Amino acid sequence: MDLPRRYKFGLLWTAGLLVFALVPLLMTSRYQMNLAGHILVWGLFAVSFNMLWGVTGMLSFGQALYYGIGAYSVGLLVTRVGAAWFFPALGIGLATAALISLLVGLLVIRMTGVYFTMLTLAFAQLAYQVTLKWRDLTGGDDGIQGIIPPGLLADKTFYYYVVLAVVFFSIWVLKRMAYSPFGLVLRCIQQNPERVRFIGRSVRMNQLRIYVISSLFAAAAGALMAGMDSSIHPDMLYWTTSGEVILMSVLGGINRFFGPFIGAIVLILLEDVIGAKTEFWPIVIGSVILVIVILFPRGVVGEAQHLWSRFRGDSSQRSPA
Amino acid sequence: MKSRKIALWIVLMLVVFLPSLGFAQEKVIRIGALYPMTGRSGLYGMDSVAAAEMAIDEINAKGGAAGYKLDIIFTDSKSKPAYAVRVAERYITEDKVHFLFGVVSSAVGLAVTEISRQNKVIFIGTDHAATELTLDNFQPYYFRVSNNTFQSMTAGALYLKELQKEKPWKTISYIGPDYAYGHSQLDEIQYNLKRFGVDFQLVSKYLPKLYEPDYTSFITSLIKDKPDVLVSGFWGGDTVAFIKQAKAYGLFEKMLYFHPDAGGNYEVMSALGAEMPAGLVLSARHHNNWPDTELNRRYVAEFKRRTGRYPTYAAEGAYAGIYAIARAVEKVGTPDNTEALVKALEGLQIKLPEDPDGFTSYIDPQTHQIVQVQAIGVSVPDDNFPPAKMMLGKWKVYKAEDLLPPKELIEKRLKK
Repeated sequence: MDLPRRYKFGLLWTAGLLVFALVPLLMTSRYQMNLAGHILVWGLFAVSFNMLWGVTGMLSFGQALYYGIGAYSVGLLVTRVGAAWFFPALGIGLATAALISLLVGLLVIRMTGVYFTMLTLAFAQLAYQVTLKWRDLTGGDDGIQGIIPPGLLADKTFYYYVVLAVVFFSIWVLKRMAYSPFGLVLRCIQQNPERVRFIGRSVRMNQLRIYVISSLFAAAAGALMAGMDSSIHPDMLYWTTSGEVILMSVLGGINRFFGPFIGAIVLILLEDVIGAKTEFWPIVIGSVILVIVILFPRGVVGEAQHLWSRFRGDSSQRSPA
Repeated sequence: MKSRKIALWIVLMLVVFLPSLGFAQEKVIRIGALYPMTGRSGLYGMDSVAAAEMAIDEINAKGGAAGYKLDIIFTDSKSKPAYAVRVAERYITEDKVHFLFGVVSSAVGLAVTEISRQNKVIFIGTDHAATELTLDNFQPYYFRVSNNTFQSMTAGALYLKELQKEKPWKTISYIGPDYAYGHSQLDEIQYNLKRFGVDFQLVSKYLPKLYEPDYTSFITSLIKDKPDVLVSGFWGGDTVAFIKQAKAYGLFEKMLYFHPDAGGNYEVMSALGAEMPAGLVLSARHHNNWPDTELNRRYVAEFKRRTGRYPTYAAEGAYAGIYAIARAVEKVGTPDNTEALVKALEGLQIKLPEDPDGFTSYIDPQTHQIVQVQAIGVSVPDDNFPPAKMMLGKWKVYKAEDLLPPKELIEKRLKK
């Protein structure tokens, strides 16, 4: 039973990878590759966020903080010091995110529920205000433009493949983690923290670990985005950015590992398709989200899997009570 | 079976190739516009769209530019730079636009000018004021067809210099929103006052956050500081909120309220109606009642006829942008030769509604910034443009050439 399941996953991975890898070859305009690139980066950001929320049950409203740290590390170093600093900047961004998430994490994990959420929001807004006001360093609300990665990376297609590789590798790592014993402990923390203590595991320690890990991948997403758009902006640290990954997770389904990724696809495509057609996009997107949340509470992926299992499963067994 | 297959192929070919054939036959100048249509600056976006469409209808009715019809597509920029970048990419690669167009927020403008530079597609900026775009962040494919804050602050400094002779003043305070727009106005008014040798003292400066709902603490502090002149750098709803609240404290009787970039915007007048105090010294990038020329009257009346409201200043920027495109294409003969269009736009002269008799706006070839006259007025009762009850009058007009940054500054900032 284990083997076919593993094959099935392998097949899905390959299919997903293939679809994204073929975009630059089959596209009719570079915009489609740009869109696919955005989906990949947001997908990584959303999946990393969902490790906190969907898996561990910690609803952070401040992941934009780390997304911004990644973006500003790359943006500042590439434009101020030199394009060659792209990879070192990525490393510095990750290190900074790790350090800050460790410090912030130590404070916020002492809280649970809504207090945790509010505190993460407060830290992210603090960083947003600093970015906005420290005009000499960050350029304030003008942001930073002209972030061109060095050498081959300046080629948009090549950069896209680098993004694809990094994102798929990161998601693979996160997936391994989600289904490892560590992931199991995280799930236990969500469901019953008391029992985690009974089996001799530290709740706080594991919460801190996943907080730092999730933040690291959020920073990686931010760093990749800076190179893709060539410009960054304090909006990246604003609460709406944190809100967007929450929305993606809800849309796709928080209880499925790939839910947030699918949510990212849905939200970005909706934004672009509807935004291009009408200035009344907020009402359309709002309605779509309302319908999904009310009628399909499992999210797109959860609902699809549910339908699939019903379709295959024994109908008598699943008939409504 | 075989014939069906062939028929299917034919249909498929038709579906795929017909639209592109249609495209090839019609000669079109494609313009991709980005404007905020929602949120606080939504009105500027909607007015810009209406004015751009008006200009396009006028030009197309006369047969277009060099035989090409103008066609514009709009997308809500959401005032988000990251989203605007994605839309600009779509315009360039999917819609194959000849020109990027629009943008109200300077932050969005800075992000889009980067895309314009990378893709070598001309970007016509119609309404964002940050001086950086035509200096520090200058790139050859960017052109701006509305004044920047440097120009209005230079006019402001000249006004204050003249005022000092009539009615001696010494101290100023500044209040403006806490982001690039508010900060650069503060820097630029001081820079220009010093440049013109005006003896002044800045006694206080306040930078409340953008969209601040309550200005009470700033107003009481300003009254305590007792400046002779209060220079303001707000825009839109912030101006309205500040004036309403300051009026209740009698601030306008205690100091001269001076707001040369966006204080005289029509939407401020219409939002305040009878509440607008008299005697405030204001200006904007376009006025519905100045200059009193045939072109301006016709422009305002036609806008009113099409939309049912009077235009805000932003509309005229979009109107100017469309005419600049049409004139440039007429000169070059085709919208496809970008380099020739850049050359044509450099130094291009366009007669605009905001040009008084005897002056024609032109684009400075060095910075790609439009050079225009600026008029500063005083709020006086005037109900010719309802719902506004006060409009500007007692105009003082500043020559376009006098408002440009000095040569050394241009060269220093272009090099950066």
